[in-house]
Parts: sequence; C-alpha cells; structure tokens
Amino acid sequence: MTPTPAKRALPPKESSLPKTADQILKKFPEHGETLCMKGLILTHMGKREEGLELVKKGVRLDLTSHIVWHVFGLIQKGEKNYEEALKSYTQALRFDKENMNILRDAAHLQTQLRLYDGLIDTRFLLLKLRPNLRQNWIGLALAYHLNGNLAEAKTVLEQYERSLKNVPDYDPEQSDLLLYHVRILEDMGELAEALTFLDVNAKSRSIVDRIAVMETRARILSKQGTRADAEQAWRALIQCNPDNTSYYHGLFRSKDIDLGDVKNADRSETLLLLRDLSVQNPRTITPKRLELMVASVEGFKSLANDYILCGLKKGIPSLFADLKPLYLDTQKRAITEELVDGHRRTLEEGFLPHESSGNVAENQDSDVPTTYLWTLYFLAQHFSHTGQHSRALSLLSTAISHTPTLPELYTLKGRILKRLGDYYKASLAVNEARLLDGQDRFLNTKAAKYKLRAGLIEEASDIFGLFTKKDAISPGADLEEMQSLLYLTEEGNAYRRQGKLHHALKKYHAVRKVFEEFEDDQFDFHGYSLRKFTINIYLNLLSWEDRLWSHPAYIHSAISASQIYVQVSDNPSLTGAILSTGKKSASDEYDKTISCPAGLSTEEEKKAKKKAKKAQQKQEELKKAATAALTNEDKTLDPTPQRDEDPDGIKLLTNPDPLERAWKLLSPLLRLSISNIEVWISIYDVAVRRGKYLQAIRALNYAKGLDASHPELHVRCLHFRKLYESLPSSSLASAGTVISIALEALITEKMTLEAYNAQYLQRHSASARAALGAARGLQILNSPRDEIEGVVFGTLNPQVDLPLKVSPCWRFEPVCELSAIHRPRLMCGHS
Amino acid sequence: MQACNLQNLPENYTMRYYLYHAMTWPSLSYVAEDAKGRIVGYVLAKMEEDIAPGDEPHGHLTSISVLRSYRRLGLAKKLMLQSQDAMASIYKASYVSLHVRKSNRAALSLYRDSLGFTVQDIEKKYYADGEDAYAMRLSLK
Repeated sequence: MTPTPAKRALPPKESSLPKTADQILKKFPEHGETLCMKGLILTHMGKREEGLELVKKGVRLDLTSHIVWHVFGLIQKGEKNYEEALKSYTQALRFDKENMNILRDAAHLQTQLRLYDGLIDTRFLLLKLRPNLRQNWIGLALAYHLNGNLAEAKTVLEQYERSLKNVPDYDPEQSDLLLYHVRILEDMGELAEALTFLDVNAKSRSIVDRIAVMETRARILSKQGTRADAEQAWRALIQCNPDNTSYYHGLFRSKDIDLGDVKNADRSETLLLLRDLSVQNPRTITPKRLELMVASVEGFKSLANDYILCGLKKGIPSLFADLKPLYLDTQKRAITEELVDGHRRTLEEGFLPHESSGNVAENQDSDVPTTYLWTLYFLAQHFSHTGQHSRALSLLSTAISHTPTLPELYTLKGRILKRLGDYYKASLAVNEARLLDGQDRFLNTKAAKYKLRAGLIEEASDIFGLFTKKDAISPGADLEEMQSLLYLTEEGNAYRRQGKLHHALKKYHAVRKVFEEFEDDQFDFHGYSLRKFTINIYLNLLSWEDRLWSHPAYIHSAISASQIYVQVSDNPSLTGAILSTGKKSASDEYDKTISCPAGLSTEEEKKAKKKAKKAQQKQEELKKAATAALTNEDKTLDPTPQRDEDPDGIKLLTNPDPLERAWKLLSPLLRLSISNIEVWISIYDVAVRRGKYLQAIRALNYAKGLDASHPELHVRCLHFRKLYESLPSSSLASAGTVISIALEALITEKMTLEAYNAQYLQRHSASARAALGAARGLQILNSPRDEIEGVVFGTLNPQVDLPLKVSPCWRFEPVCELSAIHRPRLMCGHS
Repeated sequence: MQACNLQNLPENYTMRYYLYHAMTWPSLSYVAEDAKGRIVGYVLAKMEEDIAPGDEPHGHLTSISVLRSYRRLGLAKKLMLQSQDAMASIYKASYVSLHVRKSNRAALSLYRDSLGFTVQDIEKKYYADGEDAYAMRLSLK
C-alpha cells in the first residue's frame, strides 16, 4: 500500500472523534477527503454548485485518496454522466483495489455503458472477494453472457449450482435462475442437454413457472425436430392459453406447415386441425380467425359468413380491423363485401311490415336493431377503406339517424373526414363522440388529438385537461411528466404546421428527454435484478434498451426537428421572421394555455400557481420516496429539476449552431441500421451541411439499399453530385478517393445530370411524388421556371396517381417560391 | 402498455414503474396485441410486498385496461385469468386484491360480475383527487 500522505493523516484525536466536517476544516482547511465529504453533504442538501466546487477542490488536494474519487464519481453518477463517473471510479480503484462498494458501482456503470470486457474483470474480482454472495456468481455469468461468451457463462453457473446447499423449496428466484441456465444451453445449441436440464428441474418443482417451462419445452423440441413431442407441447400450450396465435404457428411448424403461407396440398389437413382446436376451445375465436386466413376462396364464404354474423350480433367494434388483413386477397375482400352488404339488405327488408306474418316474428329478435347498426358501421369502414368515402359517409348518416348515441359512429365519421383532408370537420365529429361519453378517456384522447391535427391547440389542451391531474401546472405538463409520446409529437406537429417552429422544437426535444429517461431507467436494475434473480427479463430489458432509439416516436421527432434545424441553417432570417411575427401572439397564447386555465383572474391565477407549485413539490417528494424504496439506495444525488429557462423554445430556435443540435438528435440512430429511409435522408441533409461528405454519401448509399427510386433520395443524389463537382479537390484531402468510389456506386449511369433527372421523371411518370422530386431536381440544376412548373402541373394529369397525402408538396413549397404550387397543395392537404 | 394506459385511464405511471413490475414479477403481467403486434390491452400486476401479520401471500392488480375499440371480445377477463393463474402457481397467492374508484361503474361491473371479485372494504380518499375506492378481493383457492 502507498504510505498515507502527510496532508491526509489527521492527528488521532481528530480522526477518532466525531467532529463535524466544519470543525475539522477549521483546523485543516486543506484536508481533501473532508472537503469532499462536506461537498457531498452540500449536494445532498440541494446546494449543488457549491458542493461540486468543494468536491473538485478536495480531489485536487488529495489525488491519491480513493475517498475523494469515490465522492466525485458518486456526484457524476447522480448527474447521469456515466462516462466521467466511471473514470472517477477507476481512479478510486487504483488506490483501493478491493473496495466492494466501489467495485459494485463500477460494474453498474460498465453495464450501462456496455463496456463488457471491463465488466468481466470487475465481476470476477467481486466474486473472488465475496464468493458467498450468490449475486456475485450470477453477475459474472451475466458479464460473460453479455460479452458473447456463453460457454464461460455456463461454467460459472454450473460451479455456482454445485456450491448450493439448502435451496428453499419452491423458490421463484431459484426457478428463474434455472430457466436462465436452460436459455444459455439453448442459445449454445446444446438442445438435448437443455431439455434434460429443463425436465429434471421442472419435475422436481425447482422451476415453478409452468407456462415458461411449457414454452421453453415446445421451442426446444421444435428446434430439435422431435415432431410428435413438439406437437404435444404446443397443443398443451394452446389448452392453457388458446388466444396466443404464436402457439398455433408453433404447432403447425412442427408439422412443417407455415400458417402464414399454407400450400394447397396441406390446406384441408390444416383446416381440419384448426376446426378441431376450435371445437376443443369453444371460448376463443382465434382458431376460427386462422381458418379464414388459411381457407381457399371457395371455402371462405361459409366460414366468413358465420364469423362475421357472430361478430355483428355481438357488436364487436374491432371486427373490421380484425378482418382487414384478409383484404390482401381481393377475392376475399369482394366476398366479405357481398356478405355484409347482403346482410344489411336482409335486415332492412325485415324492418318493412310484412303481410305474411311468419318472417316477421323471426326478425323481431330484440338485438336486430343493434346488429343492423354494427352492420352499417362495418360497411362504412369497408367502403372508406376501398376509397368510396362518400358511400361510407352516407351509410354512417343512416346509422346516426337510426341511433344517435353510439360514439363509434362519430369517431369513424371523423376518421373518414380526416382521410378526405377535412381536419376541422373531422375534429368536430370526434368531439361529438366525446360528448356522448364524457367518462371515457379513450374518446377524450381521440378528440384532443383530432383538435391538434386541425391546428386547434388551445382547445385540445382544454380537452386533455379534463383527464389530467388537476394540480398539474397545465394539462401538457402532466402529459409530459407522464411521458405521453402521443401528446408531445402531435402537439409538436401542430405547432410546426402553424410555422411556430420554436414551440415545435420544444416538443420534439421533450420527446428526446423522455427517451433519455427511458435509457436512464435501466440503471437501477443493473443491481436490482441481480438481487431479485430476475435475470431472463433483465436480459430482455437490456436488448430493449439497445434498440430504444429506433422507436417510431423518437425517429419522427428527430427527423422533424432536424428538418427544422436544416431549414433555419439554410435560411437564418427565418428565425427573426418567426419570432417577430409570431412571438407576441404565439407566446401570449402559449402562456395562457400553459400557465393557467383560461378565464382565471390574477388573484385566482396566483392561487392556482401556488397550488400547482405545492403539488409539484409533493410529487417530487413522493417520487423520491418511491425511488428510494425501489433501489434501497440513496438517490438524493439526482439533480433536482431546474426551472425551464426556455419555455417557448426560443433558445432552441435561435441556437447559433442548429446543425450541431440536429446532429445530436440523429446520431443515436446511426448505429441502429434503421430501415426508415427518411432517417438516412435527414442524416445526409445534416452531414452534408456540416461538411462531413463521407458520412453524407454513406447515408445516401444506405438509403439506396432501402429504396433506390425514392424521390427524396433522387433529389439528394443530384444535390451531392453537383456539389462534389464544385468542390476543390484539396478540400476533400484523403477522403476524396473514397467519396468518388461511393459516388460511383450511387449514380452508376454515365450521363449529364440533366439527362439523369429527365430519365428519372420518365421512369416514374405515374407517380406524383417522383414528379415532384424531378421538379426539385430541375430546381437544383437551375432550370427555367416554366420547365419546373410544367413538371409540377404534370401531377394533375389524370394518369398520375396523386394521393391525398403528397407530403413533398408542402415541404417543397418553402424551397421553391412558385406561385402555382398552391394549387396542388390545396388539393393535397398536409399529412 | 404505457401508451395504452395513458390513452384509457386517469391513473398513469412513468415507464420506471412498469419496468419495476416487469423486473420484479416477470410472469404476472400480460398484454393483448392486434394482428400488427400493437398493444390493445394489458394487465399490470404484482405480489403484495408488505403482508400484514397473519395475512397470506396475495397478488394485487395495479392496472388493467382494454382500448375502447377492442371491447366486447372478453380481453380483460382473459388477461386477468392468465395473471391470476400465474399468481397462484408461481407465488402461491391465496387471493388477489384491487382498488377501484367508487364512481367507475363499468370497471366495478367487470370485476364483480365477470371476474367474481367481492367488495371487502371502502378506502376513504384513496385517489389523489379525494375519491373513495372500493377494495375488492377474489379468492384463488
């Protein structure tokens, strides 16, 4: 051990007496460890900055003390700065190699940062120091597993299991560990061993999760190809839970049949077995639904008739959504239409007074009127789906005059109007649905969402507010606190459509914050799950976290925000324009909706604010208590939420380096091989403007692999090649060759850019999106205005497929100031 | 599950709370998915951690809900049965408890009429807004 430095050693009296830090510091103002402890205490008391300053000073004064580094690491960990915290812990371990607390914290940090090589070393040391703690064994096995070394993980588990004595009978924790052992064997491909291990431990009741045993068995038997046994295992599972479709798929795979694609030769056998399962499990519709999928067109009609009539009689609202996937087969779609429409006619005839009384009695069934209603509801969805919106609307108005109190009729009306591009009337219809059942939050959420789509942000907030916490600062604040991605993205989109880009950025960044919270959430479980022995689900958590940023809501927000940043970077005067025209009214309106419910006097407003503040404090306390209970750890180091310095997002919009901010949003997506082409287009847009040409062209090549003829890609290809030709070769330096090779892979045709653009237009002449892409290509090539207009107007040609949602239209507009562009836009509406 | 809860119910939780359930009692919570794998209903359940002296181990239903557009399929009941089964077989739960708002008639009828719960007690001001709750129970024996 290194000798104790003179400055650290306190006279025996000072170190043994419980003096306060202050008293010690009075005599020994340069004592680093005490300074750090005082800093830690201050941080706990909420004096963060002062505390941090002291800790940093303490570290400087005593660089070889493990205590100062440990304290510094604790504070960095509390700030979620995991990289720096790990560095401090590593320093601390240099001076106290076998400190259990520091080692354990370091292991959690290494897991959080996915540094698995280092994790193995730490876990190994922990086990060596305390082999009697069972979690140390599991920790090491997991570290090997995460680093891809299953064989070592298995060895550690076996050693651990051999060392076990006195396992309590019927122990759910031990049970999960044994299941984990099976999982490792299975992943290693040692199927026979896995199966024996499973069976022995299931029999002795050491594994108590019956469903998990059955699922694992069925899966392993299927992998082994032990057909008869596998079939038995899947059948047993279906008995336990006849609504789980994956069990049916498993059962049929054991018979070499792919339920999603049944060969003609297997069809009758498949249908027979499904029928059988349906009889055995009368309470489920799952096998019946599978029959519909498997049936040939000939057999479909009678099966569908029973299935649909039953659904309509029961008034199952999801019946159409359930059947819609079958419409991929257009014949099945036609049969469905014929059946349901025929049923409608029969019911309508039943309502007419009949002279011959026989039929009337039969049709006077009390549920006929509701069946009729659900039949109309189904047909309206059907016709809207097939593009016959006015027919759908007229069916709905029949239904509404028949029964004006069914909310579903109005929500559907809203959805159809939305498809037609009338967002305002759509929001009115859905609001009617909400008024019919004010207790239902589902309808409330829908109504508010439709208000946002229609740009009625304030009204939406009021509606949301009917179900959010009354003591929250605003409805939006509660929804944000509860991590509502739906609210944040929809409101961000609404602001963006209104051109209030600062508010939009604010919401998109709030989405990012939610995902940061999700990412941080795993931290406590690195220790917790080991203590609780819930290893299998913990491994699932880690892989969920690894893919976290590929969530559609994050992708959408990252793309939208980076598009705004690119827009601002291309046209910096935009921010001034937005803030000078929009600021007053926009922020006033925002303040009104956010800071207090409309219509309160100043006095009431003050009271409400005070109440909200109190409530927030209380909530913080509760949250802290809950966290402490969960982790048994001191969590008071978490930074206290600071006051929002930028409630309107103005600082975001006027940030001096918008491209840097955009890049920060996009970068988590880079390594996730995302198949959404817009991600790569956005990566290009930002990278190319930051002068990162290699990154830019790589993004384009990735995009090409996803959809080579995508119009947005076409525009970027032209853009990049034109840019490349204009760059002095010196500016590319060594990357030049790589870029030119990548460019050749991107544009293989040897022709001028004008010809390249013309060829693109010709190849995709029937697509409006492609035509607009080509028009933007012309714009990049500085073609004359009338030529560009010609291409744009070409989209109005009847042969061109012009979908309602041609989003490039409105994205096109700010770039190209064409007077004429408004015409197609009016027809399009925006998505 | 979180999105489904936020869309449907007034009692909401942050992701952390869902993870806590999953990481502690991984086999007690179930979801219902549509054909595309979107969650349309869920049951979030746990075992009671603080058992009063003399009380037996028992499960607790934290939250259950089904999207309005997926009702009348009996999903809530099916989800509930799977969860109950796991409580009894893995954790030897002798009963399952839950709380429901006094005013929530629809939920009350689901618990009482289709699932067989009975009202044990009324807990005054159980909810943050001051509303009372019925404490209900179902025996698993």
